[in-house]
Amino acid sequence: MVNVILKFVSCCRAAEMRISTAEVLDCLRQLEIVDPCDERQFNTVLGANFAKSRREQGEFDRLYRLFFHGMQTKVPWDGDLPEDALTQKPEVPDAMLDKMAQLIRQVRDQEGSEDSNKRKGNELDQALMDFLAGNPLAFIQEVQKIQNRDEQATQFFKSNLGQLSSRLEIMLRINRLKTKMVQFLGSHDAFIEPWAESDVTFLKERVTSQLTKALDFLNTEPRLDNAGQKETGTRELHYKSVGEIPFSNLTPKETQAVKEIIDRLVRKLEEITSRRFSGANRGMVDVKKTIQRSVKYLGVPLEIVHKSRTPRKGKIVTLCDVSGSVWSSARFMLNILYSLQTCFSRVKSYVFIERPFDVTSFFMSNEPNEAIQKILNDPRINYNARTDYGMAFQQFRDDHLRELDKKTTLIIIGDARSNYLNSREPLLEKMRDRCRRLIWLNPEQKKFWGTGDSEMMRYQDHCNEARACGNLNQLIDFIEALVL
Amino acid sequence: MSFKSVQDVQNRMEQTGYIPSQEICTIVFLAQETQKPILIEGPAGVGKTELAKSIAACLGQEMIRLQCYEGLDESKALYEWAYAKQLLYTQMLKEKINDVISTTASLAEAVDEIAEHEDAFFSDRFLQTRPLLAAISSIDPVVLLIDEIDKSDPEFEAFLLELLSDFQVTIPELGTIVAKSQPFVVLTSNNYRDMSDALKRRCIHLYIDYPTIETEKEILRMKIPGIQERLLGKIIATVAKIRELDLKKKPCISETLDWARSLMILQQDDITEDAIFKTLNTLCKHKADYGVVRENIAHLVKG
Repeated sequence: MVNVILKFVSCCRAAEMRISTAEVLDCLRQLEIVDPCDERQFNTVLGANFAKSRREQGEFDRLYRLFFHGMQTKVPWDGDLPEDALTQKPEVPDAMLDKMAQLIRQVRDQEGSEDSNKRKGNELDQALMDFLAGNPLAFIQEVQKIQNRDEQATQFFKSNLGQLSSRLEIMLRINRLKTKMVQFLGSHDAFIEPWAESDVTFLKERVTSQLTKALDFLNTEPRLDNAGQKETGTRELHYKSVGEIPFSNLTPKETQAVKEIIDRLVRKLEEITSRRFSGANRGMVDVKKTIQRSVKYLGVPLEIVHKSRTPRKGKIVTLCDVSGSVWSSARFMLNILYSLQTCFSRVKSYVFIERPFDVTSFFMSNEPNEAIQKILNDPRINYNARTDYGMAFQQFRDDHLRELDKKTTLIIIGDARSNYLNSREPLLEKMRDRCRRLIWLNPEQKKFWGTGDSEMMRYQDHCNEARACGNLNQLIDFIEALVL
Repeated sequence: MSFKSVQDVQNRMEQTGYIPSQEICTIVFLAQETQKPILIEGPAGVGKTELAKSIAACLGQEMIRLQCYEGLDESKALYEWAYAKQLLYTQMLKEKINDVISTTASLAEAVDEIAEHEDAFFSDRFLQTRPLLAAISSIDPVVLLIDEIDKSDPEFEAFLLELLSDFQVTIPELGTIVAKSQPFVVLTSNNYRDMSDALKRRCIHLYIDYPTIETEKEILRMKIPGIQERLLGKIIATVAKIRELDLKKKPCISETLDWARSLMILQQDDITEDAIFKTLNTLCKHKADYGVVRENIAHLVKG
């Protein structure tokens, strides 16, 4: 039993789920309490210990299915558990598993003599054969490697071929191995004592079905179930006409109107927050002042003075796509954030098209509107580049990750249209783990998310909150939720 | 009385009016056996807090609740010295203090003398216990519910880690207080932010989702005895349809219950457009949501 769980854990770890030894111990201890022969209880115990949030549940289920239902190996039981605890209905009789192992050994020997010089391909083949033998660990590692591979930062030519070609290579390998195994089975004389015809057919089917599972595992990436994500749908109509026009369609006159409304809103919010902090900042008793005041009442401390607490404010880091359509709404967003600076302890901003660029200094030394103009005219930002979210995230991780801490809210403003380049959503997950909350604002309305080259559906699974924010009403809703 | 098996959890919880899934039962039983806290995640209104109440009722224990919010600190969660009381006492006891130090010769001796009596001012009498200390120092075991832990600050979360692993706290003036009996801890989270790995590791994780149509029917039958089967079916179907709409706040179980009750009070035995309009306040809690339901009213009533 322990071995099975440990094998499963190493598979989970290979797929980058964080499972500590303490959790494995807990899990084993808990399995003694419940009835591990009841699969629902068995699954619940494993899930409760290994999948520590709703997001990880999908990945856990996928691995669980693959490991406990897709693979079948001889389970060496230690302890007094019944033999059939996990493999209640053995699909494959033990004798067949032995034969499978023998087959793999033979093919492996042959392989080894054929191309011992091709190291890379060999590793992959070994992984696949392990997969066939019932140990998916190496294969999962190979698949994970592809997802995590960093792309070379190139200036002119960009493509997503790196990942695709590695995927293709694995697919080809799988097919090649399938053909090879089936051929091998066809030539009976490879074995000292020939196997029965029915056995051979069975093994052929088994090889094919297992390798198809490997192919499926490679091709289906789990969609995370992000049920805890805050959803915001319909909103109140704060301003009827000007509030509903997309930022990108505003005429100069309307832009002016929007700016005035934002100014009013900023003043209103500042007032509300300052009132709130003045009420809530009663901290510990200030002994010194209390004694001073007590002099008035003949030394009786009638008036208790509390130390005022500095208002708790969050840090904000914004990462802003500045390509075409997004910029028209991002500028309002940045404008409002910087106007509200007093409500936050720090606002830091980056803009990116293909790589992030720190623009905080522009906002520090200029009025928000001037700053935006200056950023737009800055020669250091290449406005002709193609948007590449994956690369922007990668560079943000390499150069600016230290800006994020548990008091920071990271706001990403962008349409998630990444020109079909690698989306690299695991990086987004890393960023989320470092900060307090990750909010994605998309200037496109929800119905366009995930259409064409939009990677929004993938990205939103990793966010704590994803909103459409393309007109004034939506912006006001968001700002009120953020500040109040 | 503690639970004996997973099945026992199910039976006893149903008796208290909570209908748990098999998964919930297993986790509750495990938490009791391994004495680990349960971390419950799930959307608002699926019965996270209710689960803790039900556990307390089953075990016949008192439930102590700590509601978390931004800015919650130790003085609100654990303990605080009653400063005002301390100061008043010093004033009132001034003369007594003079007596105590009247025999001393030097200032240093007087200080030593007072220091010996310091305990009188830092004793249980001046200690205001808050939920966490109350849960730990209680002689009978209790169920400790730490609600909406995701709203608290990272500092508080770190402090809680220490408490949850050792079940002891240190008050500088009094020393270390070790739990007299270990409480059954339930933490709930709405996933406003992600909890730290360290906290997750110390807890057993449980996710509760909206109930299935069958479970919700069972809950309504239990909470509103005498509800007509036909009306019940219609209520559940309509609520399911309303949940599919694009709402700010989707109606949860308690709102379904409120709605069913108001329909019963108004003696409506069918769900008509008029009946929905009259009772919409119990289901929708936002002005904008009213509008959405009104627009789709025909679809809701149909079939």
